[in-house]
Amino acid sequence: MLTYLLRRLLQGAILIVVLSYLCFYLMTLMPGDPVDMMISSNPKITAEDVERLRKLYGLDQPAYLRYSHWVKDILSGDLGYSRTYRVPVQELLAPRLLNTFILSITALCFSVLIAVPAGVFSALRPGSRFDHFINFISFAGISIPSFWLGIVCIILFAVWIPLFPAGGTLTIQDESTSFGFEVLDRLKYLVLPVLSLSLQQIGRFARYTRSAMQESLRHDYIRTATAKGLSQNRVVWVHGFRNALIPLITVLALSMSSIFSGAIITETVFAYQGVGKLTYDSINSNDYNVAMISFIISVTMVLMMNFLADILYGVADPRIRYV
Amino acid sequence: MKKTSVTTILGAFIIGLFVFLSLAAPGIKALTGLDPDAQNVFSRYQKPWSRGTVSQDNRENTIEKLIQRDPLLAQSVENSLKEKSLVKTDLSGEALFELALMPVPEAISILEKIDSPEATEIKKIFHSFELFHLFGTDELGRDVFIRLIFGARVSMAVGILVALMAALIGLLIGSVAGFYGGLLDTILMRTTDALLSLPLLPVMIVVAAIDLQKLPLLPTLVNAQNESILKMILILCLFSWMTVARLVRGNILSLREQDFILAARALGASNFSIITRHLLPNVIGSMLVAISLGVGESILFEAALSFLGLGIQPPTPSWGNMLFNAQELIYQSPLLAILPGLMILLTVMSFNYLGDGLQDALDPKARGR
Amino acid sequence: MMKTFLITVFTISTCTSTLIGCKKGSNFSQKNTVKNELRIGISQEFENLNPLIKTMAATSYIYSMIGRSLVSMGADGKWYPQLAKFIPNLQDGSAKIISHSGKKKIIARWEIIANAKWGDGTPITCDDFALALKVAESPTVSVGEKETYTQVEKIETDPQNPKKCTFTYAKAKWDFYTLGQFYPLPKHLEEAVFAKYGAEKEGYEKNSNYTTNPTLKGLYNGPYFISEVKLGDHVSLTPNPHFYGTPAKIAKIIIKLIPNTGTMEANLRSGTIDMISTLGLSLAEALILDRKVQAEDLPYIVTFTPSVTYEHIDLNLEHPILSDINVRKALLKGLDREGLVKALFEGKQEAALHGISPKDPWYTNDPNYISIHYYSKREAGKLLDAAGWKMSPEGYRFKDGKKLSLVFMTTAGNKTRELVQAFLQNQYKNLGIEIVPKNEPARVLFGETIRKRQFGAMAMFAWVSSPENNPRSTLHSASIPTEKNGWSGQNFMSWSNKENDALLDRLDIEMDAKKRLDLAHKITKLYTEEIPVLPLYYRSDLSVVPKSLKNYQPTGHQYYETNAVENWEL
Repeated sequence: MLTYLLRRLLQGAILIVVLSYLCFYLMTLMPGDPVDMMISSNPKITAEDVERLRKLYGLDQPAYLRYSHWVKDILSGDLGYSRTYRVPVQELLAPRLLNTFILSITALCFSVLIAVPAGVFSALRPGSRFDHFINFISFAGISIPSFWLGIVCIILFAVWIPLFPAGGTLTIQDESTSFGFEVLDRLKYLVLPVLSLSLQQIGRFARYTRSAMQESLRHDYIRTATAKGLSQNRVVWVHGFRNALIPLITVLALSMSSIFSGAIITETVFAYQGVGKLTYDSINSNDYNVAMISFIISVTMVLMMNFLADILYGVADPRIRYV
Repeated sequence: MKKTSVTTILGAFIIGLFVFLSLAAPGIKALTGLDPDAQNVFSRYQKPWSRGTVSQDNRENTIEKLIQRDPLLAQSVENSLKEKSLVKTDLSGEALFELALMPVPEAISILEKIDSPEATEIKKIFHSFELFHLFGTDELGRDVFIRLIFGARVSMAVGILVALMAALIGLLIGSVAGFYGGLLDTILMRTTDALLSLPLLPVMIVVAAIDLQKLPLLPTLVNAQNESILKMILILCLFSWMTVARLVRGNILSLREQDFILAARALGASNFSIITRHLLPNVIGSMLVAISLGVGESILFEAALSFLGLGIQPPTPSWGNMLFNAQELIYQSPLLAILPGLMILLTVMSFNYLGDGLQDALDPKARGR
Repeated sequence: MMKTFLITVFTISTCTSTLIGCKKGSNFSQKNTVKNELRIGISQEFENLNPLIKTMAATSYIYSMIGRSLVSMGADGKWYPQLAKFIPNLQDGSAKIISHSGKKKIIARWEIIANAKWGDGTPITCDDFALALKVAESPTVSVGEKETYTQVEKIETDPQNPKKCTFTYAKAKWDFYTLGQFYPLPKHLEEAVFAKYGAEKEGYEKNSNYTTNPTLKGLYNGPYFISEVKLGDHVSLTPNPHFYGTPAKIAKIIIKLIPNTGTMEANLRSGTIDMISTLGLSLAEALILDRKVQAEDLPYIVTFTPSVTYEHIDLNLEHPILSDINVRKALLKGLDREGLVKALFEGKQEAALHGISPKDPWYTNDPNYISIHYYSKREAGKLLDAAGWKMSPEGYRFKDGKKLSLVFMTTAGNKTRELVQAFLQNQYKNLGIEIVPKNEPARVLFGETIRKRQFGAMAMFAWVSSPENNPRSTLHSASIPTEKNGWSGQNFMSWSNKENDALLDRLDIEMDAKKRLDLAHKITKLYTEEIPVLPLYYRSDLSVVPKSLKNYQPTGHQYYETNAVENWEL
């Protein structure tokens, strides 16, 4: 078990290093470095300025050298400096990580709360109208482009019926606002992004729950339990659902990757101040320190979740051995 | 069960319709006189179900060309127009231009007053100046309907091509890994797993943002016109073969030890013929499912990247970049944003239902997975 | 920290439950505290507010509210003193030309007004300027336009009065006093940081108080200082009681970033913002909003102010077709700029004759000084005929079997430019010229294609300049970007004219204003005769302000209207 864990961790670490170099190299292939962006509209920047800044930023060196400098800085605890915002990366990242965390966890909880009951009930009545309805919703959820859903949400609930703000994270107000007000305020800004981020997950989770539940209800002990005279509710939720839970947890852990991908788009559409939008903006403006760090954070997070899923799987099902 | 097959057939039908529309796009363009790239700054943001006309410059140009092509025809119509004093000008060669400058219906009604085969000829040309905007026009005065159809062409082509190519790559890698096993299997499957565990979108954004010209080999393959489309297909292929590879490998692993393979081997069949004759036919079914689900996924990814401005570059229309364009205009004309998304939703859903139906047909037990 | 953590936990738990219950939920009451508070929406990103290293327009917009320089330029295009008591000049002897080991230099006496103080009450002295110069000179600090600072060679403070000092300028240039971007650094706060981290690469900017403690009052000397800043989201400002001028009248100003201009209007209507700054809307959006404001009688004014931003088409003079002056002339004659401005901008932006805008004292439209090319399709056709490009039956011109076809590039995704491109494509088609549009994202276009002069035939973009600006970097032959000079310089047309070069060289050192004007006219004459660039129009600065806002006057140049924010009143 322990050797397995260590091996997986090692593999993950190697993967992160390889990917980070690849990402670094790819970013050097993007046209236009930060200095180019600076001169693009300012006719006053002189040739000397350009040369001096290139040298200062280390842009005149080949990719592998820059990468090794970057790694050295990271290892010494310096995450680098954002070329766009001109502040250290950690100052930029911390509040945004929190925002993204709130957004994705809320979306995750919301989709589980909707999808799991829906999946269970449709598994109980396969072929019923409800089953078909849930099936349709799931398919729609999987097929809907989340950014489009976001735009439609803005058109519907911010433009036509102005219920929610069209974008943003928080209303700016005095420091003296009450705690409850701040939560409500955050909620107001979360509704539309969460809605557009969740639908896809709802579709996926509902389908998984349904099939897992069907599988589990096929087992003999369910028949035994029903024969014993236990109530339907008890049979379904205690005996059936508990068994369906195992694959579900795995799916949940694995879905973190797609939630993060989704957050990039959702945050961009709603101008929500999260890591996803920051990743996109920094790649777009060639702010490579920020882009690299947020890229590595996202890869690490996904790998950790996969790792967690593996372990959970083993814990839940003793038949699986780690070799 | 019955309902599933209904939805599958419906999905197949919608896919068929879109494929037909995208194949027939040039025909529709010729038939309706609409051009996905024809801009008209004087008829921007037209409402759906409205009539429009070809821009004035284009009308003048068409008349100019007509006069050059067939001076006699133009002269005879001009003469009869002047005889009946239907035009104000008395300069020679200007009468038809005067008509071209008028609102088109007015010009046609004037032409109707002359009864000659030549006039009918000219009238035909004027009729071709009238356009019908089913879905209105966009911010550059282009017809949204024809752009959606040409967008379908691009989006569907990208989706189908990517799914097919990804399936082929996956098949190759999966079958090699499954059949030969050992170190090769380990390396290939580790790569597959690594790619599967990536958060796809950030990676794709980085890859999509790079400049292909800077890569050593590619400039010979691409030119400016198709660069963004080729790049799109390449990127999506790079990141979508993994599921198929895993599937094929699993199938082949379980088939490898079965009696009929052992028998074939005993009879002296070569590896190649075992793979192509015996193993592949057995995985075709699940491949079909994977392809049909893959098309939907590729269309979604294409749309997402184009939406972020990193996909297919304008003026080539694709559903994704039409949406990207419309994003700023949701106040002005929400329909511009709603329509392309609806098309994506319909297509992807159809492919998903088709894939689901295929899966049911192949393996009734696995229903609902 | 604890508070945010609690909020997080609480939000997550309540969110999921309330979302189901009240998805339709009531509109949470808008907290509409219009109590002398102004919320300004911008659509461009801003950065760290350290005046030395800022490069973005939005940062300059904000910084002018919180920090001032010696001098600045008003809405009338004239220089006026801010922190300085007076502007030194050669006439009264407050500045003079000296000869120092064979080189001509200028020394000028500056005096800082007595009540100029930093936000914490520390007086502003010449040492603050000297520190700024010292930091800017350091090779470890990434100052964008270093010239802004290093044009001053040294600053000598008067030992008797720290408010008085003598600036020595490296070159004897007439515009020595235009130090609008030369900002002081608070010595009492920043000197220690620079002493400690200045040797490290980018050490100063990473550890500066502007980065680590941006709400420190002593960092700012404008009518406001920062009470809160969230990069990528907003900045809040409160009045600075130690401000040297008239005290600010608006009790709180918030500048909010709304990156998606499509939702700007929604934010305005819902009261999230009260005003859209000049860095907010595109022209098309402003026109639409203006119409709505009129129709619905909304309490806003949409302002259109002519600016010095110059939209133009750079012509590649090395292109085999465009190297012919007659073709270039035909392109300009066949271009209906007045028609374009009317059709696309409803006349709210002004057609351009050349690179110098009407706001600039150097502007002229006098045909005695410059060549003016009015629109005439027929004359354009004749010019092309004379150049050997003959019309073919299919509607395009040919010469020696070659089609008159030009690649036209601009930034993809910029609606206004794409619209103008479509308009021009149509116009040139009627002339028998085929225009092949090829648009690229701004990053690729500026970072790669234009910079390396690979834009084919024509490239449309804008220059942001200021009045009385020497166009050397865009017109001098030494500014042609080549492999050799590391692709620096912005003469993308590769226009090379000896007479023009000489005029540009003389323009900087001519001390007499009248003679300068004459030189500028001569340069403009060459520009309009040789036509290396097709002028299109001058952009307008657009903003939406509440009707109740008084004393608001957009400037239309890079010294933003926020330089007079203390006069704004609600």
